[in-house]
Amino acid sequence: MIWHITKREIYDNLNSLRFALTAVLLLALMLINAIVYLRGHPDRTQTYHDATAEAVKKLEERSTSLYRLATEGPGHLYKAHSSLRFCAEGDEVFLPTRVSGENYFSDIANVRPLWRLSHPQETPNIYNIRPDFTTMDWAFIVSYVLSFVAILFTFDSVSGELERGTLRLILANPIPRHTVLVGKFLGAFISINIPFVIAVLMNLLLISTSDSVQLNAELWGRLGILYGITILYTCIFIALGLLVSAAVRESGVSLVVLLLIWVSFVVFMPNTLASIGSRTSVPMAYMEFWSEGNRLDRETRKAYEDKYGDSQSTPPVHVIAEYLTIDAEESEYFAEKYLNQQITQGKRARAITRISPAAIVQHLFESFAGTGLERHLQFIENAKRYAREYRDFVIDTDRADPMSLHAIGVPKGMSQKRVSPEAIPKFKDTLSLSRDFNAAAMDLFLLVLFLVVLLAGAFLAFVRIEV
Amino acid sequence: MLKILIRRELLNNLMTFRFAAVMLITLLLVVANTAVLIQDYEQRVESYNDAVKIHYEGLRKAKTYSTMYLFVDRAPNPLSIFNVGLDKRLGNLIGIWHGFVPTLWDTEMHGTDNPFIAFFSSIDIVFIFEVVLSLMGLIFAYDAIAGERERGTLRLVLAQPVRRGQILLAKYISAMLCLLVPLLLSLLFTLLLLIRSIPLSPADFFRIGSIVFASFAYLSLFYLIGMLISVATRRTGTALMLAMFVWGFLILVYPNLIRATINPGGNIQERVNTVNNQIQRIVDEYERDRKKFLKNEGIAEGSRFHEVLGLYTQASVDSANMMSYIENLTDISETPPDFERYISLAKRYFDFVEPLTIRTTERVWFIRKQALDDIFVRQARMDRILLRLSPVGMYDAATQTLAGTDLLGLRDFFEATRRYRKIVIDYFYAKRAFGSREWFAADKGAVDWSTFPEFVFERSDASVNAARALPDLFLLIICNLVLFMGILLIFTRSEI
Repeated sequence: MIWHITKREIYDNLNSLRFALTAVLLLALMLINAIVYLRGHPDRTQTYHDATAEAVKKLEERSTSLYRLATEGPGHLYKAHSSLRFCAEGDEVFLPTRVSGENYFSDIANVRPLWRLSHPQETPNIYNIRPDFTTMDWAFIVSYVLSFVAILFTFDSVSGELERGTLRLILANPIPRHTVLVGKFLGAFISINIPFVIAVLMNLLLISTSDSVQLNAELWGRLGILYGITILYTCIFIALGLLVSAAVRESGVSLVVLLLIWVSFVVFMPNTLASIGSRTSVPMAYMEFWSEGNRLDRETRKAYEDKYGDSQSTPPVHVIAEYLTIDAEESEYFAEKYLNQQITQGKRARAITRISPAAIVQHLFESFAGTGLERHLQFIENAKRYAREYRDFVIDTDRADPMSLHAIGVPKGMSQKRVSPEAIPKFKDTLSLSRDFNAAAMDLFLLVLFLVVLLAGAFLAFVRIEV
Repeated sequence: MLKILIRRELLNNLMTFRFAAVMLITLLLVVANTAVLIQDYEQRVESYNDAVKIHYEGLRKAKTYSTMYLFVDRAPNPLSIFNVGLDKRLGNLIGIWHGFVPTLWDTEMHGTDNPFIAFFSSIDIVFIFEVVLSLMGLIFAYDAIAGERERGTLRLVLAQPVRRGQILLAKYISAMLCLLVPLLLSLLFTLLLLIRSIPLSPADFFRIGSIVFASFAYLSLFYLIGMLISVATRRTGTALMLAMFVWGFLILVYPNLIRATINPGGNIQERVNTVNNQIQRIVDEYERDRKKFLKNEGIAEGSRFHEVLGLYTQASVDSANMMSYIENLTDISETPPDFERYISLAKRYFDFVEPLTIRTTERVWFIRKQALDDIFVRQARMDRILLRLSPVGMYDAATQTLAGTDLLGLRDFFEATRRYRKIVIDYFYAKRAFGSREWFAADKGAVDWSTFPEFVFERSDASVNAARALPDLFLLIICNLVLFMGILLIFTRSEI
């Protein structure tokens, strides 16, 4: 019986204007998404490859001596970019693409400070005078367009029949009410999914046949998960549509209510709430960070000079080495503190937006597409781990040489042997699906919760409706 | 007759649920967001004040002219609450120095500029109106004609001796009167909140008034779009679906689509390279002249003279933003014993080199200005023009210009910084700073900063803003008229 009602709903929808408009809109959006992505992808890959190749070359040049490796550092560490960027470009545009492991410092009284990890502060947006816009990625198409379509498909599904009087006819048959509701739900769900799936397949067809993108099994798996999230999200809005449609007896009113809910939850809430949330934890101003960092550097330097008298007589190499290590460690620690403040602000902003399902979907898409904040945090962690590994490598290589004085950062105090370029650890940025799952578990749970509550509401409203 | 019609329509509209719902949601969104926006603005003002204080003190700490750090900060625009435009995004801190002509591509941020929250766009009042007013207009309009036609009441009305144009006009006027209520009421609340915390000048009120007018034109445009659909279709259901999809396309899809697909930049890198080469030639010329001077004076590169003055010159071009760097670093912390011997030579050197630097940077600026316009500004302008194909684009451009947060408004600020640089240079010339001992050494008394010119920036006049926004406002009004004529034409020729 359910299938009967579903079929009727689908036939009704397939013949309607909204179905045709939806199909055209989704197809156009998905095709444009693929074309825009494919236009930018080769350039992005090329830039990344060039940059990493350049970094490796520089590192190998430095391998002439261990001293150079110790002071000049491993160079820039670049973030590998995800092939699924077309699913959720997210804040990828605003986030830095690298962590810097270069040495920008000039000598102070014949001592060259050690390299340290630093995080670029400039956002490219500061010079961007083009008008604001949202990227047409899957996340946008799903969270904005698909939810809008879901509302347009369901706003009159109960109230419309009530107005036309056909609901009375259906319920006159010996069918339980929940069967009717499930039938309507499935009907709307399938009619929305037909154009969406076609559009997605066209999109993937374009992308997978292009030479520049290789989609492997893991990526297909991720795409599958993204589709699952889409299903969940569409169901939420279908349930909402049925709920309002059953609770309100007029289609016109039902539409207005739904549109207002949609506008507030999808368009306004994510941004307004983020702006409120970001105020709960404001990082120090960059100027403050900069001057405080300088002050710390000077303090370390002063402590060192106070301890070992005037700079005229050269202190023993171990003393210099100790100072250099402390200096680099403290400055790196301080930079990390600032970065953590910024990240906390970003996290707070995102946490509070979880009231809106649209924002949850945006987060989920970012996590599974390997873009956005979660991905960036993974990258920073990878970079930090690599920095430790690199430092350990320098210390261990130095230790292995019995001729060395083991004073890291002092030209004459370190091993003079050549380092083989192959032995130096190279940075490799990786993504892990299990970590993404962990980060997304909470969001998935919230989505399911939304769905259950709305479905229960729709059920209650429909059961109690008077015909 | 028109009066009766209007009264009937007004009653029809006012007593509906949609009117109450729309009213509630507009008020709620506008008031909630205004509170957030005001807080945000106050925070920005605070960090601006801090920055100004730090920079004021920083300048006065400098002991020599050549080691001064002169920075100018851009104050946040109070009308950014209405349309934030580029006000929050672009840099608000810029250095002033005779060897460098400031543009918005050389700025930094004095407040927090956190990349991790850059993704969230700030919702300003115009954005709320863009979304809500358009939706309101369409919701009120989609069944205006089609509904009456379905119910058969249109036939009844037309049986009376009424002209068809009058019916349309009555519907339009009454709907506009209804829709103005939430618009004006929410703006009133906004103003009440604003006045309490932000001082506004009479010119600002004029600007806000113009923004209200633009909002009204925008609202009316969407109402007319809805009416056009309503007139052209026979059934309300069809009219509604068409209206919703038109809304989705014009508001959600088109503005984002056009930015993603159109890339009018062309090959930027090539252009940047040629400009960089041109600038490099000018910088090389500078280096040649400087070396010639040193040679005439009989000083070799890397001699004791350079060492004593702590002098090193870096004359290069930044490949990213085509900036020329011509620096003479002379930070002398302690004077060596043979310092006096080089004083007169140093004075002559700086008196020659610094004016040369000024001339060189101005020549570079001439080339750079055109290149920046070609590469960046043309692109942004192209985007704006394409955006205008959607009413959102027109409305956004008009209100941005009125608020003074558009590109022109921001460029006014950078014009002012360039003027200020000229003033500072004139001050240096008047004080004969380049040829003075205080230029590079502070051992015989530090520089007196008390008469140093201050930077002042006034936002452009409200009439200037209005003049700049006029084309967009005009466009909005023309679209309104054209749509109305179209509706009238279709309606008079349609059969009931």
